Amino acid sequence: MPAFIRRYLALLAKEVQQLRRNRVLVIQLMLPPTIVLIIFGYALNPKVRDLRVGVVDESVTTESRDLIDALTRNVNFNVTHLYTRVEDAEKALKSLDLDLFMVIPTDFSRTLGRGRMADVQVVIDAVDANTAQIAKGYLEMALQQYNVASISGARAPTSDLRRQIILVSAAHPAPLPGAPDVEAAYLYNPGLVTSWHYVTGVMSIIMFINASLVASALAVKEKETGTIEQLLMTPAQTGEMLFAKASPVFVLMMVVLFLSLLVGMLVFGLPVRGDLWLFALAGALAALAGIGIGIMVATVSKSQQQAQLLTFFVNPPLTLLSGATSPLENMPELFQKLSYIDPLRYMVTIIRGVTLKDAPWSALWPNLLALTAFSIILFSFSAWRFRKQ
Amino acid sequence: MKKIMAQAMKEFRLFRRDKLLILLAVLMPIVLMLLAGITGSLRLRNVALLVYDYDNTPLSRTYLETYGAALTFRIVPRRAAESPERALASWRGRAVLIIPQNFERDFRRGVEPTVQLMIDATDSNSATALGNYADSLNTAFAVQSGVIVPPEKGVNLQQRYWYNPGLSDRVYFGTGGLGLMLIIFPALLGALTTAKEYETGTIIQAYASSLRAVQWILGKALLYVVIGLVEFVLCFALGLLVFEFRFPSDPSVLLVATVFYLFAGVFFGMMCGNATGNQSAAIQAVQMGSFLLSLLLSGYLISVRNIPVQIRWISYFLPATHYIQIVRNSILRNAGWSTSLMPMVLLITLSFSFFALNAIQMRKMQFKG
Repeated sequence: MPAFIRRYLALLAKEVQQLRRNRVLVIQLMLPPTIVLIIFGYALNPKVRDLRVGVVDESVTTESRDLIDALTRNVNFNVTHLYTRVEDAEKALKSLDLDLFMVIPTDFSRTLGRGRMADVQVVIDAVDANTAQIAKGYLEMALQQYNVASISGARAPTSDLRRQIILVSAAHPAPLPGAPDVEAAYLYNPGLVTSWHYVTGVMSIIMFINASLVASALAVKEKETGTIEQLLMTPAQTGEMLFAKASPVFVLMMVVLFLSLLVGMLVFGLPVRGDLWLFALAGALAALAGIGIGIMVATVSKSQQQAQLLTFFVNPPLTLLSGATSPLENMPELFQKLSYIDPLRYMVTIIRGVTLKDAPWSALWPNLLALTAFSIILFSFSAWRFRKQ
Repeated sequence: MKKIMAQAMKEFRLFRRDKLLILLAVLMPIVLMLLAGITGSLRLRNVALLVYDYDNTPLSRTYLETYGAALTFRIVPRRAAESPERALASWRGRAVLIIPQNFERDFRRGVEPTVQLMIDATDSNSATALGNYADSLNTAFAVQSGVIVPPEKGVNLQQRYWYNPGLSDRVYFGTGGLGLMLIIFPALLGALTTAKEYETGTIIQAYASSLRAVQWILGKALLYVVIGLVEFVLCFALGLLVFEFRFPSDPSVLLVATVFYLFAGVFFGMMCGNATGNQSAAIQAVQMGSFLLSLLLSGYLISVRNIPVQIRWISYFLPATHYIQIVRNSILRNAGWSTSLMPMVLLITLSFSFFALNAIQMRKMQFKG
């Protein structure tokens, strides 16, 4: 057996021994994929439901009650209060008892009776711009439905029912007669399961963050306790040392990867449509890149405190720019460009491509190549920094 | 009181020696808040749309113009021989619009032509939003080309957006980001300093000294709360510059809440440090307990009411939930004490509970005498 392999094995045995004693670390690694994935998958569902609606009915006529009725029947709204004065509704909105309120003016039914458009005013709490916009969209759909159904008199109970069901599932309004019909096909996720997107994203984040946290903690510990001097005195090369340090972490991370895939599949029914080996390869590369970042951080910092803070400093930007939680297109141009130097971005793309899309090889290899490049660069850079000590 | 101050001074001297730590503690919240505020937006813009126009008539091109003019979509060129499915699978676009042959003919005859929109639904929320948006563009096109005459009689919607007439996401994510930053870093610092005492063994000195548990905890926490206040001022300034924050006319609510919130964060961190006695495990605990949970369940990203009931109760145990509520009330709604009373009470209760838990943990171990 060549000497470098023997030395590597000896170092590896030492690392494994140390890890075995470190129960906390193993728990740290195994806990997040299970708990975090489940919480993330269930919690992140930005669908807007049950908007609390107040109505100020100044008209008090059959027509206005019809309109309130239509709102009440809509699943997206929860008509909680009826007010007689606008001031009361305003107060309720200010003290956050309502999300929006609608004012039906005094001349509402008179205007309708004359065959004209009657205005209703809606005041929406728009602090959350996204919810406000969705709420307005729901209202417009509800009004359109009301206009078509009750006023033009072309009320067909069956079509009304169909519309309501569609409203619940995908919030699609029925097209107006005469307009081109948009037939939307939702590929890869026809049931529009929200959790798949987040679970795949979080899976990648966990791989990366945990690998870097653990690696930096292990590497800095030698420095803190002073045992690094002993290591540097041994005949072992820095490369061997690094590989010996990285190997057990790497193996653990691969276990974590498949554990999180298992959780995704069992709890959320995540499909794996592509090749599993590609999934594993991407995970392995991401773990390497993560370990590289962790060791690099460790070489820069003097104490565990600094190392942990630095990893904390490096990881969130990588997470936010990766497109794991919010779409990249939404970000300003500069941030989109920055995302190209984020290895996590490629990891997320590949993981989603393999599990959800079964993306063709021609689209996957550039991402794989980029990820490989990042792992090699990060790992060799960390080796170089390590040697300089 | 004197003993508390002495303990705080000791902490300060330790902290001052670590230049990198100071830099990180001050700089990090600002950088992260900037990132979190800007990247958090869920509104779709510039979505790559591939177009397969099999009709290729003046009308089909006019139809496409409505999509091209919308900010949500960005029409990208497609490859000649590539099928829509393959183009989507290769991330060349997020959606494909297919206009069938005879689109114009059918349209002129009054037959409703069917246009197909294929959407990459790996992100189901964006997909739903895109589908809805395409529908409304469609209606707009029909109205424009005179096919649909808007009904003469009917109900018309006039909306007013309170507190945020421009419907900007920035304010929302900026205020949420402020809340996140102020829980992460104080908690982190608290956890690290406490865990370090255990690792180096200096905790024994605290046990053996005449300091009471309460004094030790308060003294340690005081420094990090002060650092937290510095972070608050910096983040608030950033908010004024970048995130369209407004100065509340009654800032007392916000200030009082901030102090209690910072205490809650530091106490939580110290609790993690006490419980684990190991820096890296303490960090992990903070990361799970304060960063991840607050990121997800505090209403930073999605409002608490939309979180499924089974886990919504967790939100009420997070200081961030109540603090972010108060921040938004003060900065965006310019509301005073009466609106923020409930979250304030809950926030204060939480800080005291964390404090009590710390005191119990410490007292158990302190030498009697």
